[in-house]
Amino acid sequence: MRILVPGVRATIQDRGRKGHAREGIPPSGPADPVALAAALDLAGCGPDDAAIEVVGLPFAFRCDDRRVIAATGRDVGVRTRGRVPGWTSVLARAGEEVIVEGSAATRFAYIAVSGGLALTAVLGSRSTYLATALGPIARPLIVGDELPLGPSTSGVEAAGRRIEAPPYAGPARAVAGPHDTRFDDAIVALVFATEFTVLPESDRMGVRLSGADLRAEGDDLLSCGIVAGAVQVPRGGAPIVLLADHQTTGGYPIIATVIHADLGIVAQKAPGEGLRFDRVTPVVSARSR
Amino acid sequence: MTVRPFGDRAFLIELEQRIDPAIVDLARAIADGWEARGLGEAIPAYASVVVEFDPARTPWSAAEAAATELAARPPDATAKAPGRLIEVPTVYDGPDLADTAERSGLTTDELVALHSEREYQAFFLGFMPGLAYCGTLDPRIDAPRLLSPRARVPGGSVAVVTGQTIVYPADSPGGWRLIGRTELKVFDPTREPAAIIRAGDRLRFAPR
Repeated sequence: MRILVPGVRATIQDRGRKGHAREGIPPSGPADPVALAAALDLAGCGPDDAAIEVVGLPFAFRCDDRRVIAATGRDVGVRTRGRVPGWTSVLARAGEEVIVEGSAATRFAYIAVSGGLALTAVLGSRSTYLATALGPIARPLIVGDELPLGPSTSGVEAAGRRIEAPPYAGPARAVAGPHDTRFDDAIVALVFATEFTVLPESDRMGVRLSGADLRAEGDDLLSCGIVAGAVQVPRGGAPIVLLADHQTTGGYPIIATVIHADLGIVAQKAPGEGLRFDRVTPVVSARSR
Repeated sequence: MTVRPFGDRAFLIELEQRIDPAIVDLARAIADGWEARGLGEAIPAYASVVVEFDPARTPWSAAEAAATELAARPPDATAKAPGRLIEVPTVYDGPDLADTAERSGLTTDELVALHSEREYQAFFLGFMPGLAYCGTLDPRIDAPRLLSPRARVPGGSVAVVTGQTIVYPADSPGGWRLIGRTELKVFDPTREPAAIIRAGDRLRFAPR
């Protein structure tokens, strides 16, 4: 797989670096887990295979032999001989240029190729973590990069399959807490009743929001472990929803936590776009996927 | 001890909220106990443990029952063998050494002696890969966080904040007071484990 146009920032991501949080190593993996899983599935890869996450389309590549490919994310499409919508498996001929395109609404796109990326895991994962240069390719992809692919068993019959994209324009489901008792009840209610605005400083570490002031009460918190989806509230009162590259521990109170299935809805919001949280109970949400 | 939902695939188990080596040991024992059950990863910190599970394998109610049971009957933390002793060769020439000594009413030599003559315990790792929060720092060292954190602290810096000491594994922003530096590479992704200090290890800083 040869990279022709690398987008603004393209990194390798698999499901993430599990089992290393106690060394302080962030999980990494996709900002939008649902989109990564769909791209891998559509391309005939396994759930633990690696794909490419791209910020800033277009992204273009070609493969030496025939492959089934898929691009997912918010509002993405694939151009080869013609234009095919995202979330659809596409047969790419040997040497054919594949261009993945987006729109102003696109944040993170995922590109998977049948056979998977044949890269050796570093600390249990092929995910790139740029902040401390972790992963088999510990930098963004550049023009001319050649990525080794595993053997592909998918053929023509695999093309044209579709998976429905999540409702990216909608609200994200979230569970209150774990530190909701450190906030006034009215503030907790406000989180689920107000619309926040996504700020442009958002990245793979977290989505920064403006809107309601959510200041907590009482003393500072002792740092505790963190999971992706945590809506932490720094002293200023403007929340941050933590994503894949979040630190493993943090000292700001967490007023709510976005459920795993809806992390992509948060990650894919464009700067300036509104974001609402729908309150769910953890039991219901655990059954939702 | 309280158990609270943390999203739809984790719980936060909270212990008594203060920095105390015995509570840190208990948090780590609970984390080990969770991971021994094979339900998922656990992240211990000062006085809490995040326990994760995969709802595709373990129903929420079963995970909640396991977390509640673990919190109600925590493993015995005192039975643990002491951790390894790690020596950190340190040159005490940090930019905050003189100021920290002065505000503590100490000479720099006295501060260096207080810092290097005791053994620390690595409480847990967090903030960035390989960063171990260690304590307990001598209470005579008065080291509140810097009012404005540095945008870039060099990797290998030895730093203190009231009650605790750390080695920055790599360049990063940071608000702790820099009193020295070490050549010891505390994080190296080409090694496994990549972090040289594990929670529970003991540390001693050796002046160079």
